[in-house]
Amino acid sequence: MMSQERPRAFIRPYRFIAVGLVVAFLIGVLTVRLWDLQLVQGQHYRSLAEGNRLLRLPVAADRGIVIDRNGKILVRNIPGFAVSVVPVDLPRAREAAVALGLAALIGRDPVEVLKAITDQRTRNPYEPAKISTKPVSRDVALLLAERAEVYPGVRIDAESVREYVEGPLYAPIIGYTGPITGDELTAKADQGYLPTDQIGRTGLEWEYEQYLRGQLGWREIERDASQREVRTLSQTPSQPGGNVVLTIDDRLQHLLANELNAGVTADAFTQAVAIAMNPQTGEILAMVSTPAYDNNVFQRGITQAELDALNKDDRHPLVNKAVGEIYPPGSTFKMVTALSALTAGTATRNTVVNVSSLSISVSGTSFFDWRVHGPLNLVDGYAHSSDIYFYTLAGGSPLSGVQPVGPDNIAKYARMLGFGAPTGIDLPGEAPGIMPDPAWKQATFDEPWSIGNTYQEAIGQGFVAVTPMQLLNAYAAVANGGTLYVPHLLKEVDDSQGNVVMTKQPEVLRKLAMSAEDLRTIREGARKVVTSSHAPMPNAKLWIAGKTGTAEFGNSTGRDSAGRNKLGFHNWFVSFLPQKDNTDPTAQIAMVVFTFDSSRGLCETCLNPAIAISQRVYEAYVLGDPATKARLIQ
Amino acid sequence: MTAGGISMARAASPLHDRPTFRRLDLVDPYLLIATLLLMAYGLVITYSTSYEDVAAGDPTQFILRGAIFTVLGIVTMVAVAYFDYAWFGTFAPLLYLVTLGLLVLVLLIGHNVLGGQRWITIAGQKFQVSEFAKVLMIVVLAKYFADRHDKIGSPLVLGGALVLLGPAFALVYRQPDLGTSLVFVGIFFGMAYLAGARPWQLASLVAVGIGAFPLIWGLLQGYQKSRLTAFLDPYADPQGAGWNIIQSLIAIGSGQATGKGLTAGTQSPLGYLPIAESDFVFAGLAEDLGFVGGVLLFALYVVLLVATLRIGFRSRDPFGTFVAAGVFSMLAFQLVVNVGMAMSLMPVTGIPLPFISHGGSSLLSICMALGILQSISMRRDASRLRS
Repeated sequence: MMSQERPRAFIRPYRFIAVGLVVAFLIGVLTVRLWDLQLVQGQHYRSLAEGNRLLRLPVAADRGIVIDRNGKILVRNIPGFAVSVVPVDLPRAREAAVALGLAALIGRDPVEVLKAITDQRTRNPYEPAKISTKPVSRDVALLLAERAEVYPGVRIDAESVREYVEGPLYAPIIGYTGPITGDELTAKADQGYLPTDQIGRTGLEWEYEQYLRGQLGWREIERDASQREVRTLSQTPSQPGGNVVLTIDDRLQHLLANELNAGVTADAFTQAVAIAMNPQTGEILAMVSTPAYDNNVFQRGITQAELDALNKDDRHPLVNKAVGEIYPPGSTFKMVTALSALTAGTATRNTVVNVSSLSISVSGTSFFDWRVHGPLNLVDGYAHSSDIYFYTLAGGSPLSGVQPVGPDNIAKYARMLGFGAPTGIDLPGEAPGIMPDPAWKQATFDEPWSIGNTYQEAIGQGFVAVTPMQLLNAYAAVANGGTLYVPHLLKEVDDSQGNVVMTKQPEVLRKLAMSAEDLRTIREGARKVVTSSHAPMPNAKLWIAGKTGTAEFGNSTGRDSAGRNKLGFHNWFVSFLPQKDNTDPTAQIAMVVFTFDSSRGLCETCLNPAIAISQRVYEAYVLGDPATKARLIQ
Repeated sequence: MTAGGISMARAASPLHDRPTFRRLDLVDPYLLIATLLLMAYGLVITYSTSYEDVAAGDPTQFILRGAIFTVLGIVTMVAVAYFDYAWFGTFAPLLYLVTLGLLVLVLLIGHNVLGGQRWITIAGQKFQVSEFAKVLMIVVLAKYFADRHDKIGSPLVLGGALVLLGPAFALVYRQPDLGTSLVFVGIFFGMAYLAGARPWQLASLVAVGIGAFPLIWGLLQGYQKSRLTAFLDPYADPQGAGWNIIQSLIAIGSGQATGKGLTAGTQSPLGYLPIAESDFVFAGLAEDLGFVGGVLLFALYVVLLVATLRIGFRSRDPFGTFVAAGVFSMLAFQLVVNVGMAMSLMPVTGIPLPFISHGGSSLLSICMALGILQSISMRRDASRLRS
């Protein structure tokens, strides 16, 4: 048979072409899309693939510890647990529920927790945001770790927690750390802080942040889709922070604190400050401010109620009163009046004033002394703390014939001695104090300076206000023969292996433009304050020199936050101990004790608790330890 | 005897046809080469992804399995090519009944995998019946259209085809296997159009489908709905419904121009890329071999599809033409949907990528289809038929 010539009507060529074109078009679309994904957006997706599997985890660095000059540990790190969230592992839909659950477990406001998570999602969802503001308990850590499916994206990491071994004893000096704020993070963007970092908030934690803070390490891990760590790809170990060695002697700190706390307990006063320093270097040996606060409370996460209570306390426990509060110096300021008159040449050691009555009257106002002293030279006037003697040196007095040194000179030499300006100590929050002169009064009150102002200033009353640190530093300059140092708490910084990284050198603020003889006259007078029994030291074992001061200041009615009577009288005793019982500028230790709301007495000295405290502490500190004794006296 | 509207009376007589070696020169070389290259490509990708997916177990097992099925596939293709494809036409009613029977069987005794009953075990091997059902339905529909090619414009013919397709579609959908049932729809429209159905009739069907969308939406299962919405905005739930799409995009995009290299992909071994051997195999391919690998795949498919169309165009009879149209529709549909899904151009539906996805049933059924195509090609010259 012949092959059949069948009509091929079942073939529809145009439809074949149409179908072919449609499929060609679709494959073209696929190719364009592939081009877009791989060649146009390839780099983006490559980094997403890396982000998928790679997680860069910070390795926390231990903050440095703080020790006293003899190696006693004051601040250390103890282990705890931190809770953080990696936002990329937490589905947005479950965010709120997880935040709510976490908040309940770690005791935070759910809104804050949610905000922390969403903020981190915006910043970098692949890095963890720390959610716990305080260390969580082992129980909570275990619960979260075991129920990972209920808390997706939640990580538990070991962290170290700052422990302030002595709590309130050193809180005014050392301060505390707290979580870094968003603003600080922005400001310190180039210093490698993480949003989860702790940063020094106040005190030495703030001051020496740069040394205490460690260098973070990084660990890059690869993980699978279920967020299990597959392996560590690379690791940069963290560098612990430097250890800060203080000039503080913990033994002396305890001696002073025990005395001050006992005084508060005995209702002798309500608040107190004590500072001891080495006048030859500016090293602070002890600094106590009471009442204080427990800085460990900030470390475990302070509650709003606790914080409110601290802020409302009228004794200002959060303030280091040694540098942060100002008080009238009272008679301790007579040193300044005396040195001004001696240096300006308006008086000498032998300038005599006959204090023949209890008061002098100028322009119709009476100015009192505390007793009728009779004729006094400068040393005796200082030793007995005669007010009229110093009124006369400062502003003159009828019939005395003494040339007044005047308020401008007093202000000038007071400023030379460091009053009216911060000492520059290595602590935050230092107050400059007030060192008035006629121009200052005119500018501040729009009133002219009066002779009464001069008299009041001569005995440390009126406008002049000082920090205990300023007063001690000025006396230290007298005790060392005329060098005003910048006081400091830092002795050295060691690295974690114990190598010394830096040593703090004594820093001279200025040499006093005062003669050695005049300074010796003051030291002689200060020693005579004690020997004349103006500041009585029964059974004295040491040759302490010093100056008392009493000031009426503030309200003397009602009760303070602790329920103690306000007395409105403050007592000072600022002192130094020469190496031998002489007037040479050899003192290795100087001390100020300031008691607030002290008992009010009839005489200036009889109930000044600071004197006895000073005597007991000197004797216990110097004589209680042979090495200390060998260092301080001969 | 009739079954499903196909008469056996009009069957060609295959007994008259005896294949001779002379006809081997009519084998379509382009189809053959494209087929073999795609099979090899599939083996390479199986090697790469199974070495990456450590969780899946011993990689050599997958490669060995892939190699065995490739050999089986070639044997099937040669064997089928040797028979006159008219045989398929002759037994189309029987094949139809067998298809429906197998689909019912799989619902009754099938293995439950990933929420769907799709497998039955024959001689220790698991077979995915719906894969074979696609090829068998192509044959059945081709025979149906071929028998009526002179009155193809009648809406009754189109309606009859829908009636034929309906039970198979429903049974596959019931498994549930939405992807494969959609392939049936693709095959139907492709064949009907190339067979000469009136465009307005096909357009009406599409319009009815769109009109019925709310109804269909109501019938869809929860996970199917979430897949559809995830396609619209994968980042709405990146850890849930959007996960597959996002990870697939990341795998593809991160492959860049030339890929990360065979077995060097990271998305699949760490478990980010799901079902990297079948539904999302293209993502693994594009991650390992990059844009170059993707374009190579498209190029091989273009050769395969053009060759398929050409075989249909040159077929000696309507049955051969319509079988080619069906195979073309099936391959093109699966390529576009599978790759488009991996690149987030369309919703996620579980449709394998022919040759590349790791699956014996898929490969064998395609080899069967390609064997039929070669048979059509070898017998296109009527003058060589022995009378």
